[in-house]
Amino acid sequence: MLKPEEMTKVVVVGTKDILEETVDTLHRLNLLHITDYDGSESGFSIGKPHRIASKLSEYLVTLRSISNQLRISEKDSVEKKVSVKEIPSMIESKLAELEEEVSKRQDAIRAVEAELKAQEDLEDAIKPLAALPLSLEDYRGYESIRVFVGFVDSEIEDLIRDKTEQYELYTGTFEGRRVIALAVPVEKEAEVSKILQDESTFVELRPPNLEGSPESLLEGIRSKKEELSAKLTELESERERIKEEYAEFILSSEEYLTIETQKAEAPLRFATSENSFVAEGWIPLERYDEFERRLSESTGGKIYVSKLEVDEEVKDVPIALKNPKIAKPFELLVNTFSTPKYKEIDPSIILFITFPLFYGLMLGDIGYGVLLIFLSWIIMSKVKSGGLHELSIILLYSAFSTIFFGIIYGEVFGLPLFNIVHHGAVEYGILGINGPQIGMLHLPVHRFAEVESLLTLVLVVGILHVTLGLLIGIRNVTVEHGFKAAVLEKLCWLLILFGGIMAIVTAMPAIMGGAALNTENPIFAGGIVLVIIGLIMLVKGEGPIAIMEIPTLLSNIFSYARILAIGLSSAGIALAVNTICKDVLFAQGGVFFAAGILVLILGHTINLLLGIIGPGLHSLRLQYVEFFTKFYEGGGTQYNPFGFIRKYTEE
Amino acid sequence: MVEAEAAGLIAIGAGIAVGLTGIGAAIGEQSIGAAAIGAMAEDEKFFGKGLLMTVIPESIVIFGLVVALILLFVF
Repeated sequence: MLKPEEMTKVVVVGTKDILEETVDTLHRLNLLHITDYDGSESGFSIGKPHRIASKLSEYLVTLRSISNQLRISEKDSVEKKVSVKEIPSMIESKLAELEEEVSKRQDAIRAVEAELKAQEDLEDAIKPLAALPLSLEDYRGYESIRVFVGFVDSEIEDLIRDKTEQYELYTGTFEGRRVIALAVPVEKEAEVSKILQDESTFVELRPPNLEGSPESLLEGIRSKKEELSAKLTELESERERIKEEYAEFILSSEEYLTIETQKAEAPLRFATSENSFVAEGWIPLERYDEFERRLSESTGGKIYVSKLEVDEEVKDVPIALKNPKIAKPFELLVNTFSTPKYKEIDPSIILFITFPLFYGLMLGDIGYGVLLIFLSWIIMSKVKSGGLHELSIILLYSAFSTIFFGIIYGEVFGLPLFNIVHHGAVEYGILGINGPQIGMLHLPVHRFAEVESLLTLVLVVGILHVTLGLLIGIRNVTVEHGFKAAVLEKLCWLLILFGGIMAIVTAMPAIMGGAALNTENPIFAGGIVLVIIGLIMLVKGEGPIAIMEIPTLLSNIFSYARILAIGLSSAGIALAVNTICKDVLFAQGGVFFAAGILVLILGHTINLLLGIIGPGLHSLRLQYVEFFTKFYEGGGTQYNPFGFIRKYTEE
Repeated sequence: MVEAEAAGLIAIGAGIAVGLTGIGAAIGEQSIGAAAIGAMAEDEKFFGKGLLMTVIPESIVIFGLVVALILLFVF
């Protein structure tokens, strides 16, 4: 919590005869984040992959190409895992046969597709000619006659007649354009050709080298196309059958081969001498004993494992975030921004509280909250792992928070939950009762009526959030550069922030006009003094240019006003939809009633979608831009242990 | 009469505050959006970051909205 998993650097040394067992155990443990050996030590060179590696990769390439051709997709779970003992023999016996079968089918499919394309091209070439009363053999084969064929929109017969009396012109219409076939003596070819070239609408057609009337040819092409399509469907269904039959084999052996290739190539990351090997890496400190015990068991005690002392300034420690299960999903949001450095605070657990809080403050509606619970539940049950699954858990937390604030705001799909009184008239809520009094709070806190106090509330939330960020900042800088630097870099901002608040709040009546500014008010004076001290420290710590950053602090705080603003806009849309339906459409009855229902469903669906995107992104933005910038640097490497989590196979 | 006039002017002021900041944010978002789409075309993993970058200029509208709210409800 708050800090990444404590890591320790380990070194594993052994003789080459136990290399295989060691790699096997390391892979099974899935613990060691290997630091690749860079070949810099004299006497040690980078290890060579196991000789089986090239064969395994060859298999893997074949298998992946088959899997691509069959378009096999990953599955979340399989009914029965395949034992790894069976796989090598299965690969030996099935892979070659499968490859041949798949490539044969694939070739056949490609050939049919190419043929189909050729027939379609031919059809396109013949279709316009069907408008002319000629057979295809009429277009060629003359010694003294040249035939031009093409589309032309304008009248050209007069132009031709000027050049020669000996011509024959056929015309027809195809898809609204004029098709011509023009026969002229060969000696006039150049002149006629020039006329046609000058005609901007002329597009030449090339009759295919076939015989017979266009109609009968088209008839033949059509039946051939039908035949080819049927063949294609058949081949594709056969490919589908192969896919069904072999999917399990392909998935499990791909996993097996991936694992075996990883193992076979592991020595590439080790330092090796003639008879020994050295592997270096990081593991979580609390798993060290298990790590050592398992390695020595599997090699009969012939291996040397030790923790390595590391310097204070460690840069390459891999980061494994450590949080309670309930806050785990928020690690995704932290890692999306950047993985923290080893000594930095991991803010996941803070996001676990503030992200849903801001979300709920923004959306705050019981109806939408309940729908979001259903939505996140649906996503969670469909997607079992990965980023989307984690996002849906975050959405679930946010939905609960939305319901909580929905009760406080007294809103259900924009309708009032409790009775509200405005301008002396009572608007009855869904429950038909007045809101209860809980301590100081009288429910409901109606968002449109209480804009002023809610604005103050969200700004206070903002000040607290930024303060928390600065406090963590002080801690982070203290750890990295000492307390003095922390005071000059971060504490000064806190002084400026709180001094500024003290001064502005006391000066508020004067700023708004009316009262005179009382400069002798101790709070005002104290605030000014704090700001000045903070400024001096800031200039000393970061140089005079840092003064430019002060407006950023102000805009950071104002930025939290978005919590109210987005809430109001979402409540406003809901209110508008309800008003349109209730006062305008439902009041008229009949067809308008149906239209009203449509508007109601559509309006609230759109508002709900906006309600997921808007509050989600803006709540996240408040974390990333306003909060993280106060303390977070990031840039760590994620912990990525050597190993694999098996999905389709078992040992 | 004077009061009604003042209320009208306040409403116009609030409209200008939201409208102009909206235009400002839109101008900002258009180039970020285009760049984000470009980045996504290269690497789909950029979607999350791109979406987030795209909403950053929205702050300006929110400041406008705050000004409008203060005008409408506080004054």
